[in-house]
This record gives sequence, C-alpha cells and structure tokens, in this order.
Amino acid sequence: MSWALHRIDDRLIHGQVVVAWGQRMNPRRIWVVDDASAANAWEAELLASSAPGVEVRVMGVAEAAQGHAAEAALEGGAFLLVRDLATALALVEAGARVSEFNVGGLHYAPGKDKVHEYVYLDGSDRAAARALLARGISLTVQDVPASRALALEALDPSVATARTGPRE
Amino acid sequence: MSRVPALLITHADLAEALVRAAERVYGPVEDVERLSNEGLSRAALEKEIVDRVEKWPNGGLVLIDFWGGSCFTCGVSAARGREVVVVTGINLPALLDYLHNRDSYPVVELAERIRVKGQESFRLQRAPAA
Repeated sequence: MSWALHRIDDRLIHGQVVVAWGQRMNPRRIWVVDDASAANAWEAELLASSAPGVEVRVMGVAEAAQGHAAEAALEGGAFLLVRDLATALALVEAGARVSEFNVGGLHYAPGKDKVHEYVYLDGSDRAAARALLARGISLTVQDVPASRALALEALDPSVATARTGPRE
Repeated sequence: MSRVPALLITHADLAEALVRAAERVYGPVEDVERLSNEGLSRAALEKEIVDRVEKWPNGGLVLIDFWGGSCFTCGVSAARGREVVVVTGINLPALLDYLHNRDSYPVVELAERIRVKGQESFRLQRAPAA
C-alpha cells in the first residue's frame, strides 16, 4: 500500500505537507488532484517545484480516480492532496477507495464559519463532509503529525448527523 | 537609481521579528512591507501579495522564509508577469544586505547579491580546544 496520506488542504503543497508530513513519511510521490491546477501548465510546474526531491503529479479528479488503485500497489509512499471537501467527495464518487482523509487546512473565506483554528466550513462543505462520513470515510483534523488528531464530527456536530457507516 | 521595494512574507510572525531584529543593527527600517501567511488560504494569501506588488511601478523583491511553502507558491504566482524576483531562505544577514544596498542596485542584481550574502552567512566555527 503506497498511500500514506490523503489530505484536504486549500494550500495544496506547502510547508506542513513537505516539511512536517514529508520528513516523517518520506513520500516518493505527491499527487495534487485539482482540475484547475491540472489545466494550467504553469501552475502545475510551480507545484512540482515546491517539493524538491519528490515526484509531483498534478492531475484532474477523473485521472486520479482511475489511477488510484494502481498507485496503491506501488513501492514507496505516496501523498494525495485535494483543496476542498467537495473534491475529496468527487474523487471517492469517481471510484477511489479512501478510508480516511486528513483535514489539514480549510481557511477562512466569506460565508464560512469557524470549526477549528484552521478549519472553516460553509453549507456545501458540510454537505460534502456528511456524504464522506456516510460512506464510512474518516475525516481527521490534524495540521501536522505532532498535533492532536481530532474527528471533524466531534468539532462540528452538524456534520455528524447523517453518519451511518462504522469507522473503518 | 530608485529604491528597490521589498515585501517580506513568512510563516507566523517571523517577518515582523526579522524587521525588529534588523532595526537593532541597522536603525529604523522603512519601506519593507511585512506579511504572515497565518490563517490565510492560498487564494487569500496570493491576493494579499498581489495587492502589494502591483503598486511597484518598477518591480521589486519578494523575500520569503523558505522554498516550497505557501508563501513561496503564492509569491511566485503573484510575481508572474512582473519585474518581481522571489528570494527564498531570507535571514537576518540577507535582510541587512538588502537594506544596505536597495538604493544602489537594479532589481535582478540586488536579488542575486542577497542570495550570495545569505548563502555566505552560513558558517561553522568550533571553539578551539581548551
């Protein structure tokens, strides 16, 4: 199993990913799953340059879902990054088998309210979170490995109501 | 030669602290804008940077704490299409060198000078045996 971390973080590749999680888990590959970045060669190149020594692949949701199982069988650890809960849900709905998403950073934007120091949600974020939880996928809020892991539904009970499946 | 403006972008409050430290050595520091990525999404941070660098008619320097963080990606995105150079790994010797030379060099040459000064600032010195 190469997948070491599936992370939801609106900064995509950044210091916490490369330094904190990267130094601990030493991924060989980082998948940035983001339709907008994948459609922009310049942006894809910038993301690739942000993690020296690691192979960075920037791709859309459909391509990632298609290749997800094959990556799981490869040697060496891999990270997968999406920018929001909706993309995480789209990836799973497109067929990627994920048991847990790390919620690393969903920062303030107008219309979003605070759930945690670095997690702000609006109605559509909550709908996506509920759908992920209903599929039995864990949503774990934790910015860096050294900080405490918290279940998203414990921080924001409104996303927990629709939960039906057991945690894997 | 006109002054090359700078925007210092770091994690937490390092930018403010670096400027305060520089003031102890250099004296009052003017015209160095400071920004923290604290609590900002990528889109919000990039906008904060663009709002500042677009006011530079002749370009300038974006000084960043380390390569690969959100300060870096947003800084590079904001610099795109402008006469703006991103310098990563900024430390006190590099910042001081910027302050001493910002009125004497064009943007690109100043950036290169700061890079060299920053790299030269890492030295090892073991105390002599007792």
